[in-house]
Amino acid sequence: MATETTSRDDFGEVSQLRGLLFEYLSLGASVVGILALALLLVYVTIDAFGLWNADDAWLLAYVAAFAFPAVGFLLYAADDPRVTRQSGLALVGGLVGFFALFRGLEALGMGVPRLSWPLAYIFGVLVPVTGYVGYAAYQRPAGAVGIGLLGRVAGGLGLAVAVTSVFVIADVYRWFLVFTLGIAPAAAIYAAGRVRASRPLTYLAVPVALLGAAAGFVLREFLVVYPRQWLIYALTLGVPVAVAVAALVWRRRGERSAAAVAVGLVAVVTTLGYVSGMVGLSRAAVVLLLLTVAVPVGLQIDRVLSHGRGSVGLLFPVVLVAGALAGTVLVDLLAATGPSPWLDWSYVTNPPSTTIADDAGLYPAIVGSIFIITIVALLSFALGVGTAVFLEDYTPDTGPLATVTRLIQINISNLAGVPSVVYGLLGLGLFVNLLGLGFGTVVVAAVTLSLLILPIVIISAQEAIRSVPDDMRQASYGLGATRWQTTKNVVLPESLPGILTGTILSLGRAIGETAPLIMIGAPTTVFAPPEGLLARTSAMPMQIYAWAALPQQDFRYGVVAAGVVTLLVVLIGLNATAILVRNRYERSDG
Amino acid sequence: MTADSTGTGTGASSRRDVLLAGAGLAGGALSGCLTRVDGDVGDGLSGSIAIAGSSTVFPLMSAMAEEFRREHPDVSIDISRTGSGGGFSNFFCVGDTDFNNASREIQPEEEELCASNRVEPVEIRVATDALTVIVNNEAGFVDCVTVEELQQIWGPDAVSRWSQVRDDWPDAEIQRYGAAETSGTFDYFSMAINGEEGAHTSDYQATERDNDIVTGVTGNQYAMGYFGFSYYYSNPEQVTALQVDHEGGGCVGPSLDAAAAGEYTPLSRPLFTYAAKDALAREPVAEFARFVVEQSGRQELVADAIGYVPLNDEQQAEQRDTVEKAIEEVQQ
Repeated sequence: MATETTSRDDFGEVSQLRGLLFEYLSLGASVVGILALALLLVYVTIDAFGLWNADDAWLLAYVAAFAFPAVGFLLYAADDPRVTRQSGLALVGGLVGFFALFRGLEALGMGVPRLSWPLAYIFGVLVPVTGYVGYAAYQRPAGAVGIGLLGRVAGGLGLAVAVTSVFVIADVYRWFLVFTLGIAPAAAIYAAGRVRASRPLTYLAVPVALLGAAAGFVLREFLVVYPRQWLIYALTLGVPVAVAVAALVWRRRGERSAAAVAVGLVAVVTTLGYVSGMVGLSRAAVVLLLLTVAVPVGLQIDRVLSHGRGSVGLLFPVVLVAGALAGTVLVDLLAATGPSPWLDWSYVTNPPSTTIADDAGLYPAIVGSIFIITIVALLSFALGVGTAVFLEDYTPDTGPLATVTRLIQINISNLAGVPSVVYGLLGLGLFVNLLGLGFGTVVVAAVTLSLLILPIVIISAQEAIRSVPDDMRQASYGLGATRWQTTKNVVLPESLPGILTGTILSLGRAIGETAPLIMIGAPTTVFAPPEGLLARTSAMPMQIYAWAALPQQDFRYGVVAAGVVTLLVVLIGLNATAILVRNRYERSDG
Repeated sequence: MTADSTGTGTGASSRRDVLLAGAGLAGGALSGCLTRVDGDVGDGLSGSIAIAGSSTVFPLMSAMAEEFRREHPDVSIDISRTGSGGGFSNFFCVGDTDFNNASREIQPEEEELCASNRVEPVEIRVATDALTVIVNNEAGFVDCVTVEELQQIWGPDAVSRWSQVRDDWPDAEIQRYGAAETSGTFDYFSMAINGEEGAHTSDYQATERDNDIVTGVTGNQYAMGYFGFSYYYSNPEQVTALQVDHEGGGCVGPSLDAAAAGEYTPLSRPLFTYAAKDALAREPVAEFARFVVEQSGRQELVADAIGYVPLNDEQQAEQRDTVEKAIEEVQQ
């Protein structure tokens, strides 16, 4: 290494003031931003769940019986004295601090509206501390197992809801026919082809799937007798799940247990589904819960037990459930008034109302939003990634085509800044009036929103593709790969995480957009979820916008806040799914 | 039965087929579990109705649609809030919607646009909106004001003391409570009283909550406020509604009858929905039009739940005739 010694005499004094100033200004800016956002979310949550109606005793009972044991378990799992000391200090200090602060404010006659000191404590200390401790615990086996188990339960529940809402939109009987005539035979043929290493057989799977699906669509119009809905779930979802589980078990424990597990699973699901109907439970719900929650949890428990590590973590859900029960008993004993939440089950399943706030629900709008955003995701991903790949890897650097490409590039950059209402006008003029796709329909809403986010998707995908080192492409070409093979096997897998990040952020924006939907005439209120691409549909932001303008206070605070929280939950659910997919790619290819 | 068959398979694929067959058999064995899926159940009325237009009429139509769906669950109704004009020009007169709500009468240009697309609007009056001016129950010195006096109190150059309006009124400061600038009530009140939208004093407590206005007025003997008729209608004892004298026509207080008869001027206005005549040929649309006329006279819905003045019997009969005639013409 060539080292060069320089004299430090002429270096002189350098002022650190500017650097420090910059650092603290940045810190201050981020703190103000995050605090403002957090405060807004806290108030929306308080309104949505009616928390300000709840007694202090009610809040404290649940904090003592539910939250403290949970944090305690996480502290134990984290097994780090520093974390324990800091969290303990924050928890106790926060309790005293918020109590003193609020009593002081009250004494001065400056009460904080709708925020009591236990609430401030919960949102100000308990939630962040739980996050911090949870993160610390996640690094160790016991905590990781506990959180992983919870994550699977939550993920499974989310999946069950998603499956149900998909079948609300997509006619479960048609799905049954398509599955039985198309998907299942095609999968069987493909598997057989793989086992016998027969190429023609694996290729045959595609036409079989297409023909079967088409036949299903046609048959749906004539056939009137079907298995009951829960049986359809058990067959069309249960059998694939059983096959997947069997494949997993096969790898771990061999052929015999795999077969036993698969058969057992189908048998247990059908039997429990059947029995649950006799005790008055919804069979479809039981089957779905078994498939989406019980199966992954069972697999996780099996893995933990067979590795023998961190099995204490399995206690975490038990702690939570016991805590919740204890809290309920405690609240009963204290006879404390609980909150009256706006965001409850009926809110998620009811049609909207503009007269009775208690009856108001968001159901059609939720389904509409999910429907729209799914199509937006497919469209903008396909078009955006396609364009980005073409612009980055398929266009020459010189010549007339390069000039055209540069023009396109400049246009895309500018389009990214066009206000959303202009895209709405475009949608109205082009898709509604010119193409006659119908105002306010699912397809028009989806295409308009896709166009809105397309420039951002393209630009971020381009960045991701550009960040793939050129050496990798050259190496691929050097091995004799074609451009298509290089794109498919090298460039796309390498840039996918980056592409997904951009797409996820754009989808988040699209699901909350209101202005373009207003312009294309999406209804603010519909009473039933959309039943097809050409059905008119509302979306969550539209319905929230409609309620926000009503004169009744119950609507403008409670119902609207519940809507905002629902929108955020769906948004976070979407993002979480996408991030999981992204992480999977990062892990397997990184 | 499925447990036995698992041992017999030799290859993975055949085992899978056996499993599939086994699961299918198990499903079959449990049946009686088949279900018949027929077409529509419900009362036979099905189809879709599209409504756009005024945001003032939106809550009323939305409530009516809600009620209608309870009787005819298979009819799908969607309502957009586009504003009266936006609804007419973008959707109704292009032939996209079946109804267009309007807080004013259709304008000549809009009628031309409709005519050029062969859309014939049928005007249906659905309710009357009446603004109510209120004072404290202790303010015995005033029970009737003229429009000019309201102008002095609420106009851009508003006076600050009661005695400046009328000599025999007390020499006390006027506390004003009114609608916030974002509200349609604000536009409408400033238009009706001061002849120009937005011409309104800025020296007042602006709020969108009727409740706050009532609290303010009940708390001060010399306070004055205004809001939609609904709150006063359901709580007549909390505050006193002033009578209004329009161009010397005599003092008229806000009441269902007076507003419906058109005597309570200038603070009452009719609200409409326009039906596309051709759309009335479709049974659900015709049925909904009849339903709207029926409901527009119902106090519990129009007044209690939404806060507009329902139509009186005579007006309702008139609307019924209009609708029936239009339906008859297109359904022949």
